[in-house]
This record gives sequence, C-alpha cells and structure tokens, in this order.
Amino acid sequence: MADHFFTFSIITLSLFVVASSGGLESELVADLLTLQAESKSGVIHLDDRTVSKFLTSPRTPRPYSFLIFFDAANFHDKPELRLRELRREFEIVASSFITNHNSSNTKLFFGDIEFRESQSSFQLFGVNSLPHVRLVGPTAKSLKDDSDVMDQGDFSRLAESMAEFVQYRTKLTVGPIHRPPALSKMQLGLITALLLLCLPLVAKRIFAGETLLHDPKIWLSGAFFVYFFSVSGAMHNIIRKMPMFLVDRNNPNKLVFFYQGSGMQLGAEGFAVGFLYTVVGLLLAFVTHVLVYVKDATAKRLAMLFTLLVSFWAVKKVILLDNWKTGYGIHGFWPSSWN
Amino acid sequence: MATMPASASDLLKSFKLKTKQQELLIRVSILCLVYILAFITRLFSVLRYESMIHEFDPYFNYRTTLYLTENGFYDFWNWFDYESWYPLGRIVGGTLYPGLMVTAVLIYRILRFLRFAVHIREVCVLTAPFFASNTTLVAYFFGKEIWDSGAGLVAAILIAICPGYISRSVAGSYDNEGVAIFALLFTFYVFVKAVNTGSLAWSLASAFGYFYMVSAWGGYVFIINLIPLYVLVLLITGRYSMRLYVAYNCMYILGMLLAMQIRFVGFQHVQSGEHMAVMGVFFLMQVFYFLDWVKHMLSDTKLFQAFLRITVTCAVAVGGIALGLGMVSGYISPWTGRFYSLLDPTYAKDHIPIIASVSEHQPTAWSSFMFDFHILLFLFPAGLYFCFKRLSDATIFIVMYGLTSMYFAGVMVRLILVATPAVCLISAIAVSATVKNLTVLLRSKNKVVQTGSTKGSGGSKSSSKALLDQSQPFQKNGAIALLFGAFYLLSRYATHCTWVTSEAYSSPSIVLAARGAHGNRVIFDDYREAYFWLRQNTPQDAKVMSWWDYGYQITAMGNRTVIVDNNTWNNTHIATVGRAMSSYEDEAIEIIRSLDVDYVLVVFGGVTGYSSDDINKFLWMVRIGGGVFPVIKEPDYLVNGEYRVDKGAAPKMLNCLMYKLCYYRFGEMLTEYGKPPGYDRARGVEIGNKDVKLEHLEEAFTTSNWIVRIYRVKPPNNRCPHNVETPVVTHLGDVFPNGSNIHGQSGTCNPQNLGVCLDLLGLVDVNLGNAPTKPCCSLIEGLVDLEGAVCLCTAVRANVLGIHINLSISLSLLLRNCERKVATEYICGP
Repeated sequence: MADHFFTFSIITLSLFVVASSGGLESELVADLLTLQAESKSGVIHLDDRTVSKFLTSPRTPRPYSFLIFFDAANFHDKPELRLRELRREFEIVASSFITNHNSSNTKLFFGDIEFRESQSSFQLFGVNSLPHVRLVGPTAKSLKDDSDVMDQGDFSRLAESMAEFVQYRTKLTVGPIHRPPALSKMQLGLITALLLLCLPLVAKRIFAGETLLHDPKIWLSGAFFVYFFSVSGAMHNIIRKMPMFLVDRNNPNKLVFFYQGSGMQLGAEGFAVGFLYTVVGLLLAFVTHVLVYVKDATAKRLAMLFTLLVSFWAVKKVILLDNWKTGYGIHGFWPSSWN
Repeated sequence: MATMPASASDLLKSFKLKTKQQELLIRVSILCLVYILAFITRLFSVLRYESMIHEFDPYFNYRTTLYLTENGFYDFWNWFDYESWYPLGRIVGGTLYPGLMVTAVLIYRILRFLRFAVHIREVCVLTAPFFASNTTLVAYFFGKEIWDSGAGLVAAILIAICPGYISRSVAGSYDNEGVAIFALLFTFYVFVKAVNTGSLAWSLASAFGYFYMVSAWGGYVFIINLIPLYVLVLLITGRYSMRLYVAYNCMYILGMLLAMQIRFVGFQHVQSGEHMAVMGVFFLMQVFYFLDWVKHMLSDTKLFQAFLRITVTCAVAVGGIALGLGMVSGYISPWTGRFYSLLDPTYAKDHIPIIASVSEHQPTAWSSFMFDFHILLFLFPAGLYFCFKRLSDATIFIVMYGLTSMYFAGVMVRLILVATPAVCLISAIAVSATVKNLTVLLRSKNKVVQTGSTKGSGGSKSSSKALLDQSQPFQKNGAIALLFGAFYLLSRYATHCTWVTSEAYSSPSIVLAARGAHGNRVIFDDYREAYFWLRQNTPQDAKVMSWWDYGYQITAMGNRTVIVDNNTWNNTHIATVGRAMSSYEDEAIEIIRSLDVDYVLVVFGGVTGYSSDDINKFLWMVRIGGGVFPVIKEPDYLVNGEYRVDKGAAPKMLNCLMYKLCYYRFGEMLTEYGKPPGYDRARGVEIGNKDVKLEHLEEAFTTSNWIVRIYRVKPPNNRCPHNVETPVVTHLGDVFPNGSNIHGQSGTCNPQNLGVCLDLLGLVDVNLGNAPTKPCCSLIEGLVDLEGAVCLCTAVRANVLGIHINLSISLSLLLRNCERKVATEYICGP
C-alpha cells in the first residue's frame, strides 16, 4: 500500500513538475516577447538578474536561443573597437529578424549586456575582449563553454554577415536586412518643398546681384579653405579613417603626432603642415597688399621682420619634416669640386 | 680709312636695340632655354638606364603604336586583339583613346619624310618630353593672358621642372597623360582667350583642342565639367556677356560633335551622367540670352521681373523633369564608379576594390604634395590672394581650375598631375607680382631722384607702393634682401626638382635599381629576362596567367596571350584569376584548366627585397576575387586582422596557390647572412611553409634574382582516366585504397551518425553552396574521397537517413560541397 502510494505520488509529482515547467517556459517566452516589444530595436537589455532568469535558471533545452551583444559604454569612444557601429548593425539584424517574422518568432531573441552594470555576467560568459557576440543555443548548459562565439570574420560585412552567422548556427532565416534610409520620407519631402520654395527667391537675388555669392571675401575664404583642406591631406584622413594621433606602443603616456613613412599620415600632422603652408602664403599676400598701406614706419618694419622670421621658420620646418618623413636627402648635383 | 669706323659704328648703332626689342629678345631667348630645359631634364631616365618604354600601360600603347605603323590606321581602328583577355579578346579600336598613338605615328612619318632614319620606339620614348616642352610654351601664353608676360615666363619655368608633371612625362613614359596635359592646358588657354576676346576663331580652336584632348585621355571629363562650372559661376556672379555666350556655345557644340567621332566616347557624350552638366549650362545660357533679349525689348522693369520669375522657374522645372525622365528611362546613364569616387571619395574604397587597389589611386598625404610641388605650395595661397585682388574672367578661371584640381589631387595621388599646371600658374603670379614689386621699388628710387614722382613706371599696384615707400631709407636694402630670399627659394626649388627627377621619377620600374653594400648601383633586369624567356621558349599560342598588372608587358614583350591585363574592363575575369591565385592548388587547377592556361607567372621579391611583388598585392587579389566569388573570404587569409606569411600565418594563406608559387623551393634558400634559410627580405620574416610541394604545376623558369617565376601547368595525368562519363560505382564490401574493409573502419566512418547529411543528399540544392554543410562535413572529415563516398553509400543503404532513395546520388557534389576536391564521380551501386 505504502509502496503504491509512493509510486503514485512520484508520478503525480513528476507530472506536476512537467506541467509547471511547461508553464514556466511559456511564461518566460511571454516575458521576453514583452521585453522585446518594449525595446525600440527589439534588442532586449539584459543584466545579471535577467541573465539568471532567462539563461542560467531555466532547464535545458530552453525553448529559445539568445544572441547576445557584449557592450561597454566606456569603450564607445575608442574608434578602433567600432562598438557603436557594430551595435547599430546588431540592432538592424534584430529589428529585421523581428519584422521578417512579424514579431511572432519565439525561437531566437536578441540581447545586450553592458559591462559596467553586469560584470558578473561577463565573467559567467568568460568574455574578456570586445567586440564580442555570442549565441547561446537551447541546449547550452554552461554559458562559457557551450555557446558559440561570433568571430571577427562574421563582423566584417556587418549586418549581412551577422545574419549569415545566425542562419548557419540556428537554422533560422533572418530574411532581408532592412536598413533605415538615410533620410526619412518625411524629411525628404520637407527638404524638396523648402528647396522649391526658396528657388524663386534665390533666383531673384541672383539676378539682382545681392547675394553673399557676390562678395569676393566669401569666395576668397572658401578658396583658402579648399586649399587648406586639400594640402593638409584631410581627404586622406577621411578615406583612410586616420586618427588624429596615436599612442606610442612602447610608452603609453606618449602621443605620436607624426608618422614616419611617406604615403601615410596622421590627422593632426596633416593639419599642422597644412597650416604652415597656408600661413606663409597668407603672410606674403599680407605684406604685398596690406602692409604697404600702413603709415607708421616702425610698425611696418616690425611687421616685416616678424613676417620674414615666421615664413623662414615655417618653410624650414616643413622641409625638415618632409625630409624626415620621406627619408629622402635632397641635394643638388653640383660639380664635385664645389663641395 | 676714316669712314670705316664711322660706318662700323653706324652698323653697330643699327644693331643696337630699343628697350622694347631688347625685352622681346630676352623673353624669346628665355623661352627657348626653358623649352630646351623642359626636354633635357626629362632625359635622366635615358641617361641612367637606357632608351626604353617604362611601367605598365605604356607597353600597351607601344604595342598598339607598332601595330598602327605596320598595318595602317584602318586596320588599327578595327583591330580585334585575341592575345589579351583570353578567351574573350578585346576590341582595341573601340576601347582606347587613339590620340597618343596617332600623334607618335605622325611624328614618326614626318621624321621619316625628312629623311631621319629613326625607329618608332625612339619616337615613342621621346614623345612625352617633346609635349612637355610644348606645354611650357602654352603655360607662357596662358600666364600672359591671365596676368602679364612676366607671370607667363615664370609659369613656363616653373612648369618645365615641376616634379608633379615630370612624374608622368619623363622619356619613356609613353602614356596618354604625356600628351593630354598639353591638350588640357591648350584647351583651357584657348577657351579663356575666347572668353576674353569673344572671337569665333579662338572658340573654334578651343573646340579642336578639346577634340584632341578627348582623343588622348579619359581625363577630358574634367574639362567638360570644369568649363560649365566656370560659366555657371560667371553667370551667378553677374559676369554674363556676349563674349562668354559665343565662346561657350561654339566650343560646346563643335566640341561635342567632334568628341563623338572618337569611338570610345561616341554617344556617351550626350547620354552619360557625367556630361549632363555641360548640356544643362548650355540650355541655361540660351535662357539667359533670351532674357537679355526680352529685357532689351521690354521697357517696363516690373513686367520684366514677373516675366523673369516665370521663365526661370519654368526653365529649371523643365530641365529637372527632363533629367529625371532621362534617368528613369535609362537614356541618361548614371555616373561611372571612377567619377563617383571623385565626388564621394570613400565610395571606391567600399564598392570598387579594383579602383582602390591601384597605388596611384590612393588618397594623397601632405608629404606627396610637398614632394611634387615644393615651394609652389607656399606660393599658391599668395597667388590666390593676388588673383582675388584683380578679379577678371581669366583669373576666375584659373582660381577655379586651381581649386577643383587641388581637391581632386587630394582624393587621388595621380591627379596631382592635373593640378600641376594650375599650381604653377597661380604660384607664378605670386612670384612674378612680388618680384616685380621689389624690382620696381629698387629702380623707382633712382627715378624719384631723376624725374620726381612719376607714377606710371610699373603696374598699378607697384606704383602705389613705390609712392608710399619714398620716405623710407631702408627700403632699398630690404628689397634687395627680399629679392635674394626669393631667388634663394627658387634655386632650392630647382635643386629639389632636379634631384627628384633624377632619383625618384626616372626609374622605368621594369628595370629595378638598388644601391649595393658599397654604394654601387645594382641593376635587376629580371622582368625583361622573363619576358624574353617566354618569347623564346614557349609555344606561340601559349596562354600565360598572371595578375593583371603584368598583362600589358607580357603581351608586348613576351608576345604571348594573357588572361587579364591592365585594361580592367571585365571585373569577373580578373576576379576569376584572383580566385585561382587564392585557392588551394587542386581547386585552382580546375580554374586554370578551364581558362586553358599553359603558364602561370608570379612576381616575387623575397630574394631581392623588392616590395611591390605579388605577395604584397595578394590581399587585393583576395578582395577582388571575394567580391565576385563569396567562397573567397578575406579573414581566412588574416590572423587577427594581420597579414602574415611567417609561421603564425593563416593556414589558408600558407597553402594557397600564390603562396606556393612564390615560395616554392624558397625554404632551402639562404638570402641573408645570419638569417635562417627561407628568410623573406621583402617582408623581413622567415616564411611559414618551407616545404612547398606542387602537384599540378612545375617550375619552368625563375629569373636570376627570383623576381619573376614562371610555372608550367602539367597536362592531366594519363594514368588516372577518371572523368564524369565513367563514374566509380561503390559496392558493399569495397576495399578502401588503404586496404581496409568498409565495416572495419567504424572509427572514422560511422554511417549511423550521417543523418545530418540528409539536407545535402537530395533535399537541398547543394549547388547553392550555402547549405548548412558543416556538421555533415565534419563527420566525413579525415576520410579520403573514396572512403567518404563508400561511407555515405553505406548510410544510404542502411536507410539511416530516413529516406529511401533509388536514384544514384551524386556523391561528388556532396563531397565538393564539403570543400573536398574530387576528380571522380562516385555513384552508390545497388
């Protein structure tokens, strides 16, 4: 009798457990769906508590996979980590996935964890370098060892390659990536309307000859800006995404402003040299067109002397820098008896 | 007796020139000297090396010129070149700018007519210096037109030796740019002259100058966009005039009609997006003219204002609609990538690796500007200021030319060339105006003593200055000091230019020179050695595969057919080569065979330390290959984003075809004292894979310094006649090649686990290549092909896959999908 009761109680108990765990799971999924709906991009913000609630405590296999982006707000200003950009791409993948499945897919959720507020979760996952994206499958018991890490190659083509990673690992299709347009339709319409409105006004001004465009000073400063922009290699900095300066590898307290080797430059370096170029030219123009009208002879002489010294210093500096940078020693081909 | 000295002194007196004549004589003799100087400074390359064609593109130009001299113009125009872009070929006549070749042949014919027995090669070598000399003359006249004859002279001197121009016009640099810069400057000069005078003759001349430019270089797009921009600025700033109307309309209409005669341009001139600006401005010009006429007819200003508003709005709207319709209907083609990358400089880097890969398309750092312009950079802003102080139609033009070309020069290193004439002209204005002011100062002192305050000695500015400075005792000394300073700077400029020309820009890059340990010059002539080897030792119809950089040289010097060359018109074809180079040998051999390649040529600098070799270009091959074939992924060749060839290199890198071909037998080689064998001097590391074995290729020829290595593609092996027509059928109990039985090898082949291969065996189109193959592949990993096939057959037969398949399954397809290379077709037998 006791034996029977025991068996019976075990059966009911286990039935109860199964039922309750099923209920628990659907509850979790419902929670996740609400969290997902609350977040703008569909990326659920996780912290230590929610990690344990959704990932460590539920029994495996969980009914969902989790793709987690590890973020650190204090590294957002380091351009070489590209955290902001990658996060934006991650959000694009998440929102595309959700819209492609009409927010009804409960197999995969996207989450992010911030380093400052959830350091223990970082330890739990064993994450010690960023950027880091990890997929926790339904069967993963240990978060550190059983989850899949997205490697560098999967970041390389941004959202597209992340989506491929998801497809390959979870067998869930992400579908087409929806990137937000650079300008929303509303903005575009407004801009066109404004332009159309302005057009007759501008045309009238132009014919009347009273725009800013008729002021040579504006053109002159524009011209100098274009010149400065070109010769300082700003275009190079934009295309190559060069930083303003580097930190010396051997001595982290020292900053490197000048890069040795032609064909490469740092941002600050280009601007400094571009400034030197422009200064000499402007001083020459100043001397020939402004200084001559100054009445006071001593002021004139002092200004002249100052100009000469500055120009001499700037030219010398640029030539020295150039020789140092390119490693060329330029010399004349005089007859050897002259030396 | 006494009359003789008198008549002699009379004679002398009659020879004595007036000041005006003296000035003319000095000016002409300076110009002659500059003309000669511009020519001889470009002969450094001939003195240092020999009279030969340089670089890559010039070899194609030379080859076509040879063809033109031998076969005449019509054959040249209709030439279909089957020796390049095998198997596609290239329609040469329709895909090149013939101006350079026709010019060279014309010079050659004239010389021949004058009974000078020259070879066409010498003419080609000296074409660029000759045109550079002519450019100095144009620069003189241009400077004279903009400012005064002094500025013209200085401009001629500056441009004669400016390194930015010399870089593309040394003797032997037989390239389009050599004549194009002359044509560019000439067109601009004549157009400005036309705008200044409003004469039809000058605008006609500018149309012809434009035609010559179109026939010579693709850079004509710069002219056809700068001129409308200039006209637009003139219109906006209220400088519209009848002169402008005549000059622009004549130049545009005639220039367009003439340009359309060049086959390579053709109807693009009215259809492509790059040429739309000029057309839009043309119509705008008509609107302006019409308005002017109406204004003339209407006396009521209010009525005119209303009319003006309506017309301008209508005109702009109609223009916008027409442009939109043209774009939508496809009648107006969108901008090309090259043009687009100038406006949005980051475009090429992200979207067109084939443009971004070329070294001369890199963005410019400040040191390159310094190298190519030297003190002109300091003078340029001053010149700009001078121009703004004396605004006229001509100075506005030169300012716009200077600024736009400066901007483009910042985007691409090679466009410094286009900016050079403008920089020289504007700097010349600065130099000339300053020096003139100073000398007038020096001379005016005497004049003040002699004639009192006469104003009219110099230009308007200098006279005011002279007047102001009268009371200053130090002024003369100051002026002398400043003059010396200016001449010192100019002499530094001359020194710099000469040095740069001699050391940096005169290298033909087909013959390499280095300094030996004792300062002596060492010459590496490996390229020509290799090309002549190809010419002498390979069959006439052999096809050579190499990276596209060497295509022109191989066809011109080796006289053999190439797969791709420097005319990068077909990206897919180049990507195929890139893919072959970056695949494993047994995958590459399939591509190589499909292209009928007989020889593979690689350039390797590990022995000599030559750094622009194929290993350093390799990432671009991967990128360009990966752009078309996604199986090639750049990260596979990198370790943590770093490109390495040593022991820490990526495994795919260490085993790809390019690596193997470059480093074949290199592991045994001692390159530097005190370093281990296999030390790569170009990268400064010991290579990672010293035991390179080649299966399908064999070394045919390696040049004396190992710079060029040529491999022969082995014919298919006779002893294994596996092909698709006779598939291998595996039966139960088949014996593995290593001698063990199917059922004995459950350690590696476990048919029960192969359920994951279900997707691949029939349900998924395996050709897609993106099926989730990894789990299946990892199961049959470690088995040789036949083993894998047999194992899979067993699984099919044991029905572990849950499907009953009676069809014979293409197992090779599956194996291939697992990145296995199978030459045999396997089919499961009953």
